[in-house]
Order: sequence, then structure tokens, then C-alpha cells
Amino acid sequence: MALIEVDNLTFGYEPDAPVLDGITLEIAEGERIAILGGNGSGKSTLAQWIAGWLPRGAHKASQGEVRVNGTTWQGLDARTRTETVQFVGQVPMQQLSGFAFTVWDEIVFGPGNLGLPPDEIVARAERAVAMCNLAHLLERDPFSLSGGEQQRLSIAAALAMQPRALVLDEPTGNFDPESRDILLAQMADLPGGLTTIWCDVALGPPLVVADRFLLLDEARIVFDGDARAFLAHPRTRDIFGLPAVAEVAALLAKAGRWPGGILPPFDLDEAVAAFGAVMEGTIPA
Amino acid sequence: MAVARPSGSDHALLYVPGTSWLHRLNPMTKLVAVLWIAVAAFVLPTAGTIALAGLAAATGILAGAGKVFARRLAFTLTPLTVALFVVHGLLVGHGNQTDWFGLTVSRDGIAFMFHILGRIAALLAGSLLFVTTTHPARLLKALDSKGFPPGMAYLIASPLLLLDPFTTRARAIREAQSARGLDLNGSLMTRIRAFPALLMPLITLALADIDHRAQVLDGRGFRAVPRRTVLDPPPDSPAQLWARRLILISIPFQIAGGLLWR
Amino acid sequence: MNAPLLDLRAVGFAYGETPVLRDISFAVHPGEVVALVGRNGAGKSTMLRLLNGLLRPDAGTVLIDGADTADRKVSELARTVGTVFQAPEQQIFNATVRSEIAFGPAQLNLGEDALQARIAEAVARTGLEGLLDTHPLDLDAATRRFVAIASVLACAPRLLLLDEAQRGLDRQRRARLADIIAEERAAGRAIVLVCHDMDFVADTADRVLGLAGGLLAVDATVRRFFADEQAPHSVSVERPQIAVLAAALGLPVALTPAELVARLVPTMEGDADASDH
Repeated sequence: MALIEVDNLTFGYEPDAPVLDGITLEIAEGERIAILGGNGSGKSTLAQWIAGWLPRGAHKASQGEVRVNGTTWQGLDARTRTETVQFVGQVPMQQLSGFAFTVWDEIVFGPGNLGLPPDEIVARAERAVAMCNLAHLLERDPFSLSGGEQQRLSIAAALAMQPRALVLDEPTGNFDPESRDILLAQMADLPGGLTTIWCDVALGPPLVVADRFLLLDEARIVFDGDARAFLAHPRTRDIFGLPAVAEVAALLAKAGRWPGGILPPFDLDEAVAAFGAVMEGTIPA
Repeated sequence: MAVARPSGSDHALLYVPGTSWLHRLNPMTKLVAVLWIAVAAFVLPTAGTIALAGLAAATGILAGAGKVFARRLAFTLTPLTVALFVVHGLLVGHGNQTDWFGLTVSRDGIAFMFHILGRIAALLAGSLLFVTTTHPARLLKALDSKGFPPGMAYLIASPLLLLDPFTTRARAIREAQSARGLDLNGSLMTRIRAFPALLMPLITLALADIDHRAQVLDGRGFRAVPRRTVLDPPPDSPAQLWARRLILISIPFQIAGGLLWR
Repeated sequence: MNAPLLDLRAVGFAYGETPVLRDISFAVHPGEVVALVGRNGAGKSTMLRLLNGLLRPDAGTVLIDGADTADRKVSELARTVGTVFQAPEQQIFNATVRSEIAFGPAQLNLGEDALQARIAEAVARTGLEGLLDTHPLDLDAATRRFVAIASVLACAPRLLLLDEAQRGLDRQRRARLADIIAEERAAGRAIVLVCHDMDFVADTADRVLGLAGGLLAVDATVRRFFADEQAPHSVSVERPQIAVLAAALGLPVALTPAELVARLVPTMEGDADASDH
């Protein structure tokens, strides 16, 4: 059975303005998913539904629902919810609990709330610290960290809850390239069975961390598949612009200098080989 | 602003790190002792309050916080002494006047001055004993492990933690508005007109933070189970527990005694 | 060449004892788009604050349109310099997009007609038609960024400072922002971008100023900057993938895919120009 099922979900913050329109989606245990879309495409809202932050208060689905192992979010107790999905948002400072004077206290805050035995809390926190490379920051005040460090801290605090899925909403959106690369490297160290759902408006980071790609366009899912097919989808180029290597191939194709049926190169090595061949005339038009 | 800050900002403004007997005492015990001192500051006669203040200051010095005590007591008591001396010693018509270096000074006024100074010194020294030897994080753990509602811990922690980010944000807003032509250094009227432009973003951002943080706390299982686990709670002992009970029981007697003797 | 809009002479700045910028000299002329690059903490934010008068240099002078910033109030300089900050939430305070955009120009004592014309033009250029009566905070973050851009454009500043304004924008909106920058340049205004995104720099800027260790380590045209492997490295930025690809193919530097395609297949230069970059 899927871990999370989004079943024909239609939702808007205001009536007659659906942000999500008939979304159906199954997420299995251990999948690494990217949800991509342009500004205002509804991906943050979908991320909040998947993470159980929606529905809340007056914000309810006008149609459909989200189920976790067959039960809707409202049917789950608070503890099960926290142990199923954790959410990390865009603004690093907002992810901090405001309870902890040190990085270590921030990480043990969540497991402590669950009333776990102290040994278990320490073991969980130590694993999270190692995975997110925070050992040198444990005594620091969370609010004095840089944005990149705060984001790694919020991921560590989320991991200490031992969720089955982690939802990240444009987690590197506010970062410089260096902090972004550190976070991306950290993603590779996450536990294998953990489902990750990474939402973004840029192609770069998702191409590194995900193997299943969903394209959200005007409140609907218009593509669901792997990276190569995703890059070849016509709306991908419209919404994000292609990575330079793929864009060159697209321009060559437009000019009739790229053979039909061959997918565009995926990385620099493939591109050098393929475009070198075009230069030498070994790929015929 | 992209400037390196010293590692960790100083939330526990007056805390003096140490391992003295007072540092190791359970924060709850210290809290109860401060309560006792506060009551005593109001019921004891002048000599008693001064002795109490002296005792508290001596304990503070032994705990290694002498500097903080000296500075805080001097900053608070010096201007107060001057003001009380001028008002009650010289100006207000208290009786029992005498000549002192060419000034007509009221003995009763001076006594009243010492009365007030003693109270304030005792209150201040007592609270300093607590804040110089108790890190707020330890107080949180003590409250937590004694089963106090987490909301109370939040009220203590978040103002200390959020003061810095809030100040940074307020400055960013001021900069953003002046860079778009808002005159923040002009006449009073222009400043009053500029106020909403500074206040609105601060409020809306704070509301957004609160909304988001409520979700974060839910996500971290805040209040998901009745009792949370506290790692390394400050050690407590039966002796301290009995001391606290005795102190608490003595407080009504303190008050009654104070009222009867007066 | 005409008089510079921005002229820095041996500028130094320190926070307390910590020097952030040392001996920085450069000039920016009307019609120039300059990208300010460097790693986090290299002093870009400080530099930006020196350029709009929020900070005054400890050493040297900053001249904006010939006037020393040390002698002017920030609010006066705002008539010449417009700044789009990273977080629009920190400046938006009006209840509608319309009043937010009108706030800046309303302080310039324009006539009512001129004011309305300014607002209409800024709205059209940022694509905010139809959202004028919306509360700015009900908009998504990218649209809100354009509200902040519109509120600055409506003041018609001769020097425009953009702090990571491209961040988080999808292709269509990046293109819109690039168009706005190009229009400003064509109108003889000067633009300074603080920007981590080298694709955007390659796309929009004429010249790169690179900060490293508090010094101006690089001052070069965009083409020279990306043609050289060392220069981007010396200020801790990545070369755009297209420049790396051109180098790997043994071709002269290319800043856009269309340019590289023209190099790959010289005969189809015309086609490449006809495509969308």
C-alpha cells in the first residue's frame, strides 16, 4: 500500500480559485520525489497537504482527501502524525521551536515531547547530528546560526522524530551556492528508507536529490516520471528553462541539427561527447 | 547582515558561568529562596533589609558573581540614593532636622531613605543571586521536570531567544523604508507619519512567524503526550525538597510577623 | 564618457574592529549593468548599503550623481537611488498593491496626473494589472517581489540596486526581470545587481565586480570574467554551465545557449538569433 495517497484533491484558499485541481498521487515508502512548478503553481500548497499542515481551520478540501496508510490526517493522533511526515519550510528561522537555547536542545525538543526514554532521545539526536553535520555547532544558539546552518538544524530536528517521510519546500531557495551544495550533499546521507518530497521552482537541486519528478502546472499534475523524460517534456522548458546542455540540444533540434528520437544530453560529459560529434559532422542532420 | 557574529548571542545577560554550590542548587530551590527574600525585603525593619542585602551580596561574591553584583547594585542604588537624599533628606518637610555640612537635613528623611534603599537592595541582591547563577536553559529544564505547563517555559524562553532576531528585523525594516524615501530623522510630525510604515511590516512578519511556529510545534509533537521527557534535569535532593517546603511554609509567618510587629 | 552616476574612491568600511571592505574604487556610468559577486560574507550586503547611503564609509568617499553620501540623508538619496531588498515583506505595509506602489512616488511631489502615469507604467512593466486591489501579503512570494520592484520603478530612480531579485523566480518571471533591467539600461540608467546566480549574471550584466577578502578582486566585462577560469574561482563563484561547456568543447566563451549553437554550427547563426535568446 502507498504511504501517502492524494486522492482527487481539489482545494483553494478562496472559493472559486482552486490552487489544486483534482490532484491524484501515490507516494510509496522510500521514494525520492521532486514536485516542481512555476511561481504560484500550487506546489507549496500540495506540500502542506502531503505533510498534514492542511487541512486546518477554515481551509478544507472542496473535493477529495489525503490518506496516510489508508487513514485521513484528521483520523490520526498527534503522535502518529509527527512520526509519519515532517515538514521543512522555506524560511529557516521560522522552523526553530523558540524553546531551545542550544542546537542540541533544539534537536532533542521533539523526541522529548513524545515522552521517549532518555537513552532513545540521545541516540536519535546523535544520529541526526551526524547526518546533518552539526557536531561543531551543538552549543550554539539556534537563532545565531546562518540560514544554511539553521536549515540543516531544522532537518536534523525533523529527522530526530524518525518520520517515514520528509517534505522540503524550496529548502535551498534562500541560499548561496556554497550552502546549497552542503545541504545537497547532506541529502545523500539520509536514511535509505526515508521518503523525501522536495518542492522547488529551480531544476538544479531536484535533479541531484530526486528520481521521480512531478510537474505541477496551473493547479494540475501534467507530468509524472523520471528525470530524462521530465527534461524532454515541453512544459519543463517553458516553466524553468532547461539546463544549458539541454537547451543547446533543443536549439540544435529546432534548427534540424539534432537527430530525432535521441534524448538530449543529461550532464556535461554526455554533452561534450554529443556536441563534439555535431561539430565534426558525425551526427547527421 | 553578512557580518560574522561572536559564537552564540548572550541571552543570559547576567549569568556568570560557574560550579559553585549556588550554581548547582536546583533552580526551583533558588526560585523559592528569592520569593522568601522578596517577602523579607518588605517585612523586615531597615537594619534587617540591609543585613539581608549584605548577606545576599556576600553569597553572590562567593559564587563568583562579585563584578555583576557590584555593577548592578551601584548602577541602581547610586542615582536612587541621590534622588532620595535630595527629596526626602532636603526637600520634603520630614521632622527632626539637623545641620550637616551647612545643609539642613532631616534625620527622619534620611531614615526613610535607608528604609527604601534597604528594601530595594535586598530585592535586587536576592534576584541577582538567582539570575547570576541560573542559566535560563536550566530554569526551563527545572520547570519542565517539575511538570509545570510548557506554555510557562515558552513565556520565559521565547522573549530571550527572539529579542535578537526581532531587533535585526526591526533594523532591516527601518533601512528598507528609509531607502525608499521615508524620512526617519525629520520633524516629529514626519516621524509620526512614518510610524505605520515601520510598524506594519513588523507586525505582519511577527504574525506570520507565530502562525508558522505553531505548525512547527505541532510537527515536533508539542503537547502530543501528557508528559515530556527532560534530558539532564537539574539534580534535586530530598534535602532541597524539604528546604523548599519549609521556606514556603515560613512565608505566611514572615508576613504575619511583619504585620504584627509594625 | 559621461559623468558617472556612482563613484567610489578608496572606500573602506569596518564594523567596529572588523574591516569588511578596504580600498575599493570603481565608477558606474549611466547605461551600465554591473553585477556585484562574491561568497557570503565577502561584503556584498555592506557594499549595497554604502551605495544607497544606509552606511557611510569609514575611509574614502562614495559619490552618487556627484554628491557625497556623507552629506545627504538616506531619504534624499532615495530620489536618485532605488533599492529592491531581498525580503519584500520587510518593506510592504499598505493594504493594497496600488497604494504600496504609490507610496514612493507620492513623496516626490509630482502632479496627480504624473503620479498616476508613473504608477500605471510600473504596473504594466511588472505585470501586476488585475492585482491592484489585492493585499500584497495575499500574493505568492514571487509576485510580491514584483510589487517591491514596481514600487521602486515608480520612483524612476537613476540608479537601481537589486539584491538577489532573481531568486526563486520561474523562467517567465526571470525573463520579465531581465527585460526590466534591459529597459532601464536602454533608458540610460545604471543598475547594480547583487547576485549569486551566474546564469542570470551572464544573461543580464555588462560588467562584474568581484569581492574577496574585503578587496575588489575583479573588475571585468562579463565576457572576460567567464572566459577566464581563474577569475570566477578567485571570488568563489561558479561559471555558468554554458561557459564551462564551451570551454570543454575547445570553443571561445559563450554566455548563452544560442551563442554556443552559433559557434557549434557557424552556418546557422541566423537561426540561432531567431530563437528566443
